[in-house]
Amino acid sequence: MVAVAVASTTAISFANAEQVPITGTVQSRCIIQTDTAGTYGNPNAYTLTTAAQDGGDAAVVRYDVSLADAYYAEITPPTAFSSAPNLPDQVTWAGSVSVKTVSDATGMGTYEADKLEVGDTDRYDLTATGSTWFAIESTATMGGNKAFAGGTYTAVAEAVCIAK
Amino acid sequence: MPDVLPEPPGLDIDTVIYNYTIRKETEDSVDVYVGNENAAGTGYIFREHDQWRPGSLDGTEINKVIGIGGIHRDQWGDGFIDVEGNGSVEDPRVIYTYRVDPCYNPQFDPNCPGYVTPVPDIPEVNLDDLYNALEDENVDLERKTEIAQEQNEENLDENEKKKKEEEEEQKRRYRLEKMMSASDAAALFAESQMIKQMNEIANMQANVNGYYSKSIPGGVYRDSVQLADTQLPDNRRGLRNNLAQQKLHQQMIDEQYK
Repeated sequence: MVAVAVASTTAISFANAEQVPITGTVQSRCIIQTDTAGTYGNPNAYTLTTAAQDGGDAAVVRYDVSLADAYYAEITPPTAFSSAPNLPDQVTWAGSVSVKTVSDATGMGTYEADKLEVGDTDRYDLTATGSTWFAIESTATMGGNKAFAGGTYTAVAEAVCIAK
Repeated sequence: MPDVLPEPPGLDIDTVIYNYTIRKETEDSVDVYVGNENAAGTGYIFREHDQWRPGSLDGTEINKVIGIGGIHRDQWGDGFIDVEGNGSVEDPRVIYTYRVDPCYNPQFDPNCPGYVTPVPDIPEVNLDDLYNALEDENVDLERKTEIAQEQNEENLDENEKKKKEEEEEQKRRYRLEKMMSASDAAALFAESQMIKQMNEIANMQANVNGYYSKSIPGGVYRDSVQLADTQLPDNRRGLRNNLAQQKLHQQMIDEQYK
């Protein structure tokens, strides 16, 4: 005869919930950096322009893409001053974006020809890996042929990388 | 390439960066080849092909970075930029980035491991090819020997003469030193004598000064000599002496008549 002793325990459980975070970091395969900050020339009292012949310099932005055919580059020239003295009238804005330099002629040589203009924004399909430099030109003209007041004028172009 | 790269032998090129501006019509296709020939064999170290297709715009720049991975300078042949098609390149620039191993040749620097102190290269000379005066018929060896002997004798005489002159000079110096020392002693003696005399004079003055300070009171000084005895007897001892002298004198006179 085998005696078996059974011990029983009673557990008291409480309702509980735990939220476990899971985080991850995605490094963008599209890096944008300013290569050259532009400057406005002042060929006459009512015009500010980045045109080299008028004493200005175009801004240059660089896109480095390490994943082909995954991003669009969208660049919008300035449409307003971010800081400026009082403006006596409305300012008319004009701007353009163009491919200045590429790191791969074969893959990027037609970026400029293939770009899509949407309003003030130029969209480039970044189909190849490598670096592309875009030149941004901007011209601001004061309405009514009024003169720009003396002071410092700053405008900002926007360059973004959009995943497809 | 050798004239492009710097001097050190242990030089490896890691990266090549080149850029240029393409000149072409938009509808044209242009192929640009950039590279370096392989100096150690056939083919190329690298050869990049930039294919500017129709649609790529005139004036577009290319800026390309090519990782080479460290190829030694000896293998780098001439560089080239070749253009095929209706177009050209403008403002081309090629940059070679390199690293240098200063001890690639250990002899480049004494601090390199494996450096061996260089031994000068001494050329071997065939003794038979050397000029032998004994075989030169224009050389009169006997006369030379004679001349050498004469010269030797002359040299010996000259040496002996020099030696004698040196001895004389040494003696002369010794005498001069002795004389100088005697002269010094005399001068010292004279000086001490002079000091002694000066001291005596000073002492004498000090002694005499005592008398100078005395004063003799004026007045009449009366004769104070008094003779107590009324009769002064002759000095008999003196008389005897006087007579003896007289006698001696007389004897001397008499001597001349004998």
